[in-house]
Amino acid sequence: MSDRLRVNPIACEAHGVCAELLPELITLDPWGYPILAPGPVPPPLLGHARRAVAACPTLALLLNRDENGTG
Amino acid sequence: MSLAAGPSGPYPGPRGPSARPRTWPPPGRLPRLLSGTGVPLSLNEHLARYGPLPRHRSPGAGAAELIAEVSAAGLTGRGGAAFPAGTKLATVAAAAARPGRGRGGSAPVVVANAMEGEPGSGKDALLLARSPHLVLDGIALAALATGAGQAWLCVPAGQPALAAAARAAIAERDRAGPDQVLVRVTPVPGGYLASQETALVSWLSGGPQKPSFVPPRPAEAGVRGRPTLVQNAETLAHLALIARYGAAWFRSVGVPPEAGSALVTVSGAVPHPGVLETPLGTPLGTVLAQAGLAPVAGAAGRPGPPGQARHPGAVLAGGYLGGWLGWPDAAAVPVSAAGLRRAGAALGPGTLAVLPAVACGLAQTARILAYLSSHRAGQCGPCTHGLPALAEAFGQIAFARPHPRTIETVGQLTRLLPGRGACHLPDGGAGLAASALRVFAADLRWHAGHGPCPAAAASAQEAAR
Amino acid sequence: MTAALTGFAAPAAASAVVVTSKTWLWYATRATGLVALVLLTATTALGVLSSVRWQRPGWPRFVTNGLHRNVSVLACALVLVHIVTTLADGFVPIKLQDAVLPYGSVYRPLWLGLGAASFDLMVALIVTSMLRTRMSYRAWRAVHWAAYLSWAAAIVHGLGTGTDTQLGWVLWIYLGSVAFIIWLTGLRLAHGWPEHTAVRVAAGLVLAVALVAWLIWLQKGPLVAGWAHRAGSTTTSGPR
Repeated sequence: MSDRLRVNPIACEAHGVCAELLPELITLDPWGYPILAPGPVPPPLLGHARRAVAACPTLALLLNRDENGTG
Repeated sequence: MSLAAGPSGPYPGPRGPSARPRTWPPPGRLPRLLSGTGVPLSLNEHLARYGPLPRHRSPGAGAAELIAEVSAAGLTGRGGAAFPAGTKLATVAAAAARPGRGRGGSAPVVVANAMEGEPGSGKDALLLARSPHLVLDGIALAALATGAGQAWLCVPAGQPALAAAARAAIAERDRAGPDQVLVRVTPVPGGYLASQETALVSWLSGGPQKPSFVPPRPAEAGVRGRPTLVQNAETLAHLALIARYGAAWFRSVGVPPEAGSALVTVSGAVPHPGVLETPLGTPLGTVLAQAGLAPVAGAAGRPGPPGQARHPGAVLAGGYLGGWLGWPDAAAVPVSAAGLRRAGAALGPGTLAVLPAVACGLAQTARILAYLSSHRAGQCGPCTHGLPALAEAFGQIAFARPHPRTIETVGQLTRLLPGRGACHLPDGGAGLAASALRVFAADLRWHAGHGPCPAAAASAQEAAR
Repeated sequence: MTAALTGFAAPAAASAVVVTSKTWLWYATRATGLVALVLLTATTALGVLSSVRWQRPGWPRFVTNGLHRNVSVLACALVLVHIVTTLADGFVPIKLQDAVLPYGSVYRPLWLGLGAASFDLMVALIVTSMLRTRMSYRAWRAVHWAAYLSWAAAIVHGLGTGTDTQLGWVLWIYLGSVAFIIWLTGLRLAHGWPEHTAVRVAAGLVLAVALVAWLIWLQKGPLVAGWAHRAGSTTTSGPR
């Protein structure tokens, strides 16, 4: 069981708030859109990940509980 | 062979080996889908060639059996994604059976995708023109398996002849005894993304012709929220034969785990371009030989003076979202999804475009990238910004004297685009560019030193005219 | 309550009676009303800054967003205190439903009603924002546009019902708040130009017309002596 971050690229409008709140896992490309680190979210960062998901102005950042770890 | 109309469709014949006409293709041999002679097969001819569809004791039992047979056959989608057809059928059937489904109700629908958005592909058009009843059989079977009562057969609006052929075939079936599923032939406006699964579903739902974010996949919630089976026309045609002859017959050709045959469209510098049927796993050289291409030993893909023999320089496999393969090394690559992917290309919708050695692969790639960029939906930031940037940079490489930084930019963009859009347009464009840098590395060095090669300059002039 | 009730004169003799209420509740309602308005202005400003993606090296976006949410809740809390103290004070004859129904109040019906409307919108904005993850983004966004209306209604309510409007520093607070929000809204309209040109031009025109109308109303209404009577009070109150 793991939690994975995903971006809905259609909803994303490059506000960049997610990268501010979770710089360990999210960086921004030259146009301001998020690049997510691959793999599951490490447990110590889960709280920050949830906060980043709630803070996205367009609700484009998603945190999915993944049962079998294949994403 | 005459037909008696019946309530269960135009296939009232008795079951059993004694009822099989002589002209059925024996198991294990080709052609399977392309059995015709170039004129559309009428319903009678279709039944004489392939035999009747099997009848089932009850629709419910038939559905489960069919899905099991398709899964055992290992049929994968022939539209480009190569998703297991049995899994998709099962997902739609299960979604429809779930109580309390979404706003559209739970009645599933079938979408037969004959849009063929890839410019170099002609297999779906050929199937509809030559063997429409194979596709229509496939639709009827898919509807049986999923419990759908209606289907959309989507054809490009710019090819009215296809719609006419499909409608004529449906009229034939209606006269003989209508199918259980209502099939609507639907001309859909074209565009590269028009055949993309979620874009097609969106358009059918009355929305824009743009891809949507998954999940939920169309199999779970598609046209107006209903479970929707979107299947390529060729896949449905294979389904029609698997239902008749079984999974073992289907698997008698091909290289496991990729079983069966596939239609490929061969174009470019070959004596006999067109649509061919080949077992999956056949070496590319063998497939192209069927199009008249003799293997040329030791030939290298170099731009040379005009007038040189148009032997191949490279092959573009998998369409604009596929990849380049250098010739003659490519001759040994197996034509299958896994084989082509390992070689840095893709199977996609089965297009094999042969670039002559006199042409410039970099110029061709630059033009393809410009085309892809102009067809982007404009929904996802990385693609909206990145694909034009990639096309521009590659244009510099092909038609100007590229600076090392330009080449580096292209490399960065090919790493930055994949996986960051709602569809695979940015992934495919990036993959194409990366394969071009690899396969045409020698040409790239030449361009960097001297500017555009004569072939590139000539093609630029021709495009300008 | 005693001092307040002595001033309750019959309408005919209203103009001849000068009344002031000294209860702490009356001061509290005026104070909380004014502070809530300032906070509402701040909330609206932070919302605009958020939508134009304003940030500085030491002030990241999440600070703007977080402040916007927190200040809006604080403003709403103060408005609740403002409502409770007004009801408890009893100096003005309003009932509980006048706090949420924007009509039918005995006291300055139009201007009080605007306050109720502003409060209603504020509640809708906060509730939809708390349920943001459970509703469609488009629906949430549509409701959130009403934030501008809520702020504007609060401004007019404050000037229409306020008893301190003619105090210089209070007037400056109103003028400053309006100028600030008008300026920021102008920036908001310009941000991302020329997308949605028609909507932006229309909104700009509405903004200009509303500003001019408000200035005219201010000149001829609350700033002219006798406003309390013309606004529909049954008592007169405040300093003269």
